Amino acid sequence: MRVAIIAIPIIAAGLSLVLPSRITRVLTAIAGVATAGCILGIVTATAEGHTVLDALSALFLIPVGIVYGTVGIYSTWYVRAESIGADGDERYRREFLALTNAFACAEAVIPLLTNMAGLWVALEVTTILAALLVRLQGTEASLEAAWKYILIASCGLALGLIGVVVLYASGTAVFGSHYAPEWSNYIAMAGKLNGDALRLAFLLALIGFGTKMGLAPMHTWLPDAHGAGPTPTSAMLSGVLLSDALYVITRFASIANAAFGPTMTQRLFFIVGLLSLFIGAFFLLQQRDIKRMLAYSSIEHMGIVACGLAFGVHLAVAGALLHVINHAATKTLAFFGAGRLAARFGTREIAGITGGVAVMPVSGTLFALAGLALAGMPPFGTFRSEIMVLTGGFSAGGWPIAAVVLGLLLVAFTGLVRWTMGVTAGYLPEGMSRGERDLGAIGSMLLTFIVVLGLGLFVPAHLSALLERASEIIGGRS
Amino acid sequence: MTLHQLTVPEAFAGTIAMLLLVVQLTLFRSVVISEFIRVYAVQAWLVAAICLGVGVTEHGWDLIVLAALTLLFKGILLPRYMQSLARGISARIELPARINVLLSLLIAGALIGVSILVSVQLPLHQGAFLPKADLATALSMVFVGFLVAILRPNALAQVVAFLTLEDGLFFGTITLAPGLPFIIGILLLIDVLVAVVVFAVLVRALVDQQSAASVTVFQRLQG
Repeated sequence: MRVAIIAIPIIAAGLSLVLPSRITRVLTAIAGVATAGCILGIVTATAEGHTVLDALSALFLIPVGIVYGTVGIYSTWYVRAESIGADGDERYRREFLALTNAFACAEAVIPLLTNMAGLWVALEVTTILAALLVRLQGTEASLEAAWKYILIASCGLALGLIGVVVLYASGTAVFGSHYAPEWSNYIAMAGKLNGDALRLAFLLALIGFGTKMGLAPMHTWLPDAHGAGPTPTSAMLSGVLLSDALYVITRFASIANAAFGPTMTQRLFFIVGLLSLFIGAFFLLQQRDIKRMLAYSSIEHMGIVACGLAFGVHLAVAGALLHVINHAATKTLAFFGAGRLAARFGTREIAGITGGVAVMPVSGTLFALAGLALAGMPPFGTFRSEIMVLTGGFSAGGWPIAAVVLGLLLVAFTGLVRWTMGVTAGYLPEGMSRGERDLGAIGSMLLTFIVVLGLGLFVPAHLSALLERASEIIGGRS
Repeated sequence: MTLHQLTVPEAFAGTIAMLLLVVQLTLFRSVVISEFIRVYAVQAWLVAAICLGVGVTEHGWDLIVLAALTLLFKGILLPRYMQSLARGISARIELPARINVLLSLLIAGALIGVSILVSVQLPLHQGAFLPKADLATALSMVFVGFLVAILRPNALAQVVAFLTLEDGLFFGTITLAPGLPFIIGILLLIDVLVAVVVFAVLVRALVDQQSAASVTVFQRLQG
């Protein structure tokens, strides 16, 4: 099944280059759903102990399934309706579908890997594919965003690779000068690794891969790339790529925690987490572009995840991991809604969109609900996971930091609710008609909403088991 | 480790490491893109020499092959491609700088100092090929590459800065992780080639839109 998760999107990518887009857009939807099905199967099997994957890998596969599955369906509408190139021509559609499928493949590979050098290579591949996708719309803004993204992300990954190399060097005394840099090797001999080198490796990994994760202060590429790229790409960048980078960081963190305890990793997670929350929350207040608003929300949510890992207690770490899944689903729904509204109103400017629910009853309503979910309102999944992080923080004795996190969440809440209500509430604008008939887009949004709401109402037993085991892995206790 | 204790291979490698950094620092005073590309080519030759040195010393045929590939692609073909790309955009692109050479070198010196401070704390080497300065050199090359990219608001100059930064990574993988280089080295090589193609696509698009390779026009997305 692991082969299928990689093979399906890569075959779809190849076919997208040669077949007409009217065929491959359906093929992309089928590939997305099929891959999501395979991921569901492998996650279930892992929860029941039937695969060689560990719980951490399985958990980080879930965002891939949710986002690729729904992006595939959404793209059936996107390639027809939303202007991709200047004239929305066939070449652009083919490139978009091929790159989207290839990007999904690269994103799916990362959680399947535990080789620390292989992880770096896979992340580097995602950078190149994402830059091409962001550039695809051909506007000045998309070119600027792609340029900044590839340059900043590549520089970040350069530091990440030095982190990998230093990690490798930390093990040469134990494993010899030639060995496979497998995560399990490091965990098994964590106590014998060179501690100083390991500390430096984690620091470099946090800065390097944290750049890809959008953690402040290395986040500067994120609002541009998420804002200027095609809508499905924005969803894949925000919902999956950030979590993929986090996956790599958690592997490093688990080795460091196993070697010398969690104090250092927790302190560093606090620094980047609080800074990300602060920047995300306050920049949310002054946004004028609907997709950049969602991008800053991503920075804020990555801050929440980092703080959850920093609190260190089981509840907070499990909450942080659950938040990764909730954020992927909710942000995908929000980007889908934002893309629909922007296409209908012909602008991404918040000031230019009003009465979204009146114009597009389904998409507008679902965007409003996604905005409320991102703000942390019950009964959605994000509320549950944020409560887990905060409760864990308060119970761990870290109440001053937990109180700061709570305060920053309230700031973010204000910004998100203000802008979301601004674009969705109101009467039908003059000259615009009510209604929407795009089954692909509406269907994908409804599917995503089921996940957003469902994870708020209950957490399946299999998922609970994975969260518990994964939080132990991050703690270095596996 | 004092100088008189160095073996011949160590002294050779230490000299090359120093040259790598010095060559990279000359980027701050280069005023045209063709000079930038030549600097990169020289650096690629030096990296290939280090790779060859480690390969010969440790009898690693994979590293000798990697050295040959590095020389061919990074030392010859890539610089030629970059020169043709530069000629396609403009016969002589003059590179602006955000600050003067002296201040640039002072900041670079501070970054190298930080790299040394970080590196000397680490007892990393158990019979490794190079003196201890290798991590400091690798980190310095990455930081100086960053700095050049920040201080030179020209697309092609930033691509070259990125490539010199990658050379720092390549140097680091060879010297710090002698068991790792072949796989990572090949992947780094492929990564560089693909990245340059992607960069070239973006540079051409930039020139089509702006009639220049200056990235000072990238001020639209803010806030």
